[in-house]
Amino acid sequence: MCNKLYRAALAVASAALIAITSLASFSVSAKGVFQSGPDFVAEVFAPQQAVAKVLWLTPEIRAQAAAIVDHPVRGLRIRYHQSESKSAWILEEIGKEMPITIGVVVEDNIIQQVKILAYRESRGGEVRYPAYTKQYLGAFLKDNYRLSQNIDGITGATLSVWAVNKVAALALYYHAQANQNTDAHSP
Amino acid sequence: MQNKTNLNNQSVNGIKTNMIWHRRLGLSTFVVLIFLAISGFALNHSPGLKLNQISLSSNWLLSWYGLELPATEAFNLGESWIYQDGDKTLWVDGKSVAPCTAPLFAAAETADMLFALCADGLLLLTTEGQFVERFSTVDGLPANSSGLTVLDNRIYLTVGLIATEFNPSSFELTATDVAPETLTGSQKALLPLPKPLQKSLRQQSVGASISLETLILDLHSGRFFGQFGVLFVDLIGLLVCILSITGLAAWIKRR
Repeated sequence: MCNKLYRAALAVASAALIAITSLASFSVSAKGVFQSGPDFVAEVFAPQQAVAKVLWLTPEIRAQAAAIVDHPVRGLRIRYHQSESKSAWILEEIGKEMPITIGVVVEDNIIQQVKILAYRESRGGEVRYPAYTKQYLGAFLKDNYRLSQNIDGITGATLSVWAVNKVAALALYYHAQANQNTDAHSP
Repeated sequence: MQNKTNLNNQSVNGIKTNMIWHRRLGLSTFVVLIFLAISGFALNHSPGLKLNQISLSSNWLLSWYGLELPATEAFNLGESWIYQDGDKTLWVDGKSVAPCTAPLFAAAETADMLFALCADGLLLLTTEGQFVERFSTVDGLPANSSGLTVLDNRIYLTVGLIATEFNPSSFELTATDVAPETLTGSQKALLPLPKPLQKSLRQQSVGASISLETLILDLHSGRFFGQFGVLFVDLIGLLVCILSITGLAAWIKRR
């Protein structure tokens, strides 16, 4: 009887160990560069060729962008690609400690795609899965500069979720500015 | 009578042994005890003495605490000094301008821009040192790029023996005929960072993280010398207990 119990306990412990090891390796594999910026842009606009443009960050744009992401925005200009009313933005935001590179496609002030291009944190990489990113499809910017729809969080990836939310809102704001800003021009 | 004399002798011997050990313990601990008393006094009155406002930045002390010393070398571009704080920030003339993961491989200047090649990307700056934007591996910067040279106002990046020309407007890289050796030879060399900038960098990157109060507290607890220091202070505490007991025993026996 004791032997059977012992064996059962051993089997449960081994299964738990295997599960933990798999989860650990899963979270490690969630780190890395998944797609380069040029590849993302090519994929988004294929078969067309998008025009590379820059949006110069005026003090007004910078102030509003800082309000959206809750910290000062660095840099004097933001690079993006556009074809007709569709634009692709590659932006970075820190999750917990490391920057997450996020590609956002906006068309007619509505999000068409959100894709995590590079994830460098050790935890929270679940934000890159389509099951999560598809929540942003169809979102637009409300008057209070927040996303129009609620995004369900991910347990253990709260900071990464916040980072993606901020970048999605920022890309919508930049898109709106780029399409009304006469200073935006091809480099 | 004989027994009484023996008892007296034993008692006298006991007192003598007790006193010998009392003296030995006293002599071996008095220097440390005086230090602990003075440091304890200083810590008790730390706010009044403003010990937490006195910052220490001696090189050996920062090294002892495991704090990385800021870089002492920089690239001199025109009138600007570009350097990295040994951690994650790029500095231009005493101002933190943008995130830049160490090492800072190279820096160069064209007529209208400054460039700094960090481990995580190529930073584009205005001639006044204002951060414009970053060209990173996600944008197409070749991985392991470690060379940056400007020749005839053209920007070249090198990875090992492969050189490419970089267009800062379109972020495009094109093949070049310029020999990598020529580019390496023309690359800006690191120079010693001027003393005032060195001092300001040290103050801003380490700041008051090591205050005199921290140092005294760590010396008082023995933590300054690691685990052995803590054990040593524990031992002194134990010896003080024994000292009190031997002192009390001697006083009782003498009565």
